[in-house]
Amino acid sequence: MKISKPVRGLMASALMLGAAQSMAADPIRIGVPVGLSGANSVVAPSVVQSSQLAVDEINAKGGILGRKVELEVADDGSGAAGAQKAFDSLIFQKKVNVLISMETSAARNAGLPIVSRGKVPFIYTSFYEGRSCNPYLYVNAWVPDQQVAPIVDYFMKQKAKSFFLVGSDYAFGRGMLDFTKKYIQSKGGKVVGEEYLPMDGTDWTAVISKLKAAKPDALITSTAGGAPNVTLTKQLRAAGVTIPYGNLAVDEGTAKAMGGDAEGIFISGSYLTNIDSPKNKEFLAAMQKKFGNDLKTPNDLSVPQYEGVYAYKAAVEKAGSTDADKVIKALAEVAVEGPRGTIKMNKQRHAPLTMYLGQVQKDGSVKILETFKDVDPGAQCPNLK
Amino acid sequence: MIALLLDTVTTAAILFAVCAGLLLVFGVMKIINFAHGAFLTVGGYSALAVTQLGLNPWWSLAFAFVIGGLCGMLVERLVVRPLYARPLDAILATWGLGIIIGQIITLVFGRDVKFVESPLSGTVGLLGTTYSQYRLAVVAIAVALAGAMAWALNGTRLGLLTRAVIMNENLAKGLGINSTLVRFFSFSIGAAVAGLAGALITPLSSVDPNMGVPWLINAFMLAMVSGMSLISLAAACLVLGGLQVVVSTYGNPILGGLTIVLVAALVLRIRPQGFARE
Repeated sequence: MKISKPVRGLMASALMLGAAQSMAADPIRIGVPVGLSGANSVVAPSVVQSSQLAVDEINAKGGILGRKVELEVADDGSGAAGAQKAFDSLIFQKKVNVLISMETSAARNAGLPIVSRGKVPFIYTSFYEGRSCNPYLYVNAWVPDQQVAPIVDYFMKQKAKSFFLVGSDYAFGRGMLDFTKKYIQSKGGKVVGEEYLPMDGTDWTAVISKLKAAKPDALITSTAGGAPNVTLTKQLRAAGVTIPYGNLAVDEGTAKAMGGDAEGIFISGSYLTNIDSPKNKEFLAAMQKKFGNDLKTPNDLSVPQYEGVYAYKAAVEKAGSTDADKVIKALAEVAVEGPRGTIKMNKQRHAPLTMYLGQVQKDGSVKILETFKDVDPGAQCPNLK
Repeated sequence: MIALLLDTVTTAAILFAVCAGLLLVFGVMKIINFAHGAFLTVGGYSALAVTQLGLNPWWSLAFAFVIGGLCGMLVERLVVRPLYARPLDAILATWGLGIIIGQIITLVFGRDVKFVESPLSGTVGLLGTTYSQYRLAVVAIAVALAGAMAWALNGTRLGLLTRAVIMNENLAKGLGINSTLVRFFSFSIGAAVAGLAGALITPLSSVDPNMGVPWLINAFMLAMVSGMSLISLAAACLVLGGLQVVVSTYGNPILGGLTIVLVAALVLRIRPQGFARE
């Protein structure tokens, strides 16, 4: 075929125009380092799903500042070594604009120096033991200051004076119970025992005997998620322990699967699936529609992840660019309306959250007993603005 | 005090059940079967299958015994037997095998924690205290298991041959005893007992692809100090299990978790034959 000169010129300029347009619409990349293997592998798929939904929804409505959004998921192995690799490759090879992820504390701590070097905003969406501070870090999930109070206050209202604490021997377990102990004592309660078992421990016999001998009014536990939580609960029930039992580490899905043994357990969190709000119902329906039978039950880790993506969108739109410093500044100022309500990360890089106290029912559902509006995270990072 | 005593006895019973299969394999084949933890896991998932089929949870014990035994037969024939002449390699192979079994279970059942129905729940009043019914039942089951194993070893033809192989394999072979067959049965029964133990601990433990692993080290140390006899194993379980309970109760449970390993190492240092008579 013969093409005349002017037409060729036209085609060339059309091509160039196309290239220029695609440059302007260079996608915004969101890096999600998450524990696809290792301890977090049980919950990680739900986090990836909710990220996918958020990105799809945003792209369907024209993206962020007219740019398409892309997800880059990397496995951090739930630990420090894997996190270093994941952060390195996401920041320096994939050149992501932002990191938004739920990770273990070990993985987060290992990744933060790389975040500082790469200068990308990092929205951390997992609840954790608190007081992790970095100029590039924002957190939209709860810290002990927000989670412990509802359970302890509720037990004290039920005339509980003496408490027994049981945990797994690691940063989160000890951190949570240290805070719980101080909080109980500050409210005039008494801690009559505090026991830990290694993370892979399965035999709670002696702990339970001590618990029974101490005759406390209430029990609060903070084990590693998954197996230790289950073994402890089973052995407690087998030993006939029936005092009020608050569990700081059980998620709704595990509680449901535990069946009869979980009945009566008190849990506290910023998200439960039966939060009665239009936003939550909309979110659950969208998740159901997108993932159908493969849907992993949305939870207190996957929902903050979903909202984290929207927080980034809001911040970029407010800043008018993806420039890290501008986005960091804007993240503290924007509010996101999500399944958990309106979230604003304006308290020293953390967010006041509405917390729910729930109790597991006989059929495995969680009944919301009390709602605590906008609980303050306390002084998490006083040295950061 | 009563609670401490009950804790000791029930802990010893659980340890005995978990360790018995390992001891049998160690006695006959002189190798430590590092896939023992994986066989416990297989037993746990057999119990899960029983729950999912909706059968009475007591069936899980028999079911786990059979499944564990079948796994043992397969493993002995395909992996362990070709490595008879190289015991160190056989130990390494069982370790790798343990990882493979764990991964297969992960592929089939997923990585998450599963839940198995408990045959007994609740407590019963005993000697002025209330105690877990299931833990007491475990004691009865462990005693029955010990009795059955003692009878199999001392009251049957196969047991006689097995004891001959344990005492002196070369001499036994010289007398025309088919030691290969004895090894095959010992390994299979060892795996079957491990499966049974795996099902036995499910009401106290979670069911996940690594559920057997934490038990392996304690079982290994107990087998080391027990020599070849069931009686010394029972004694070792009572003494070391009791120490674990005491340290956990009066000291702290983290130290308690180390007690069996530490004390077993000490015992072996002072008395190389451990709890065995000679």
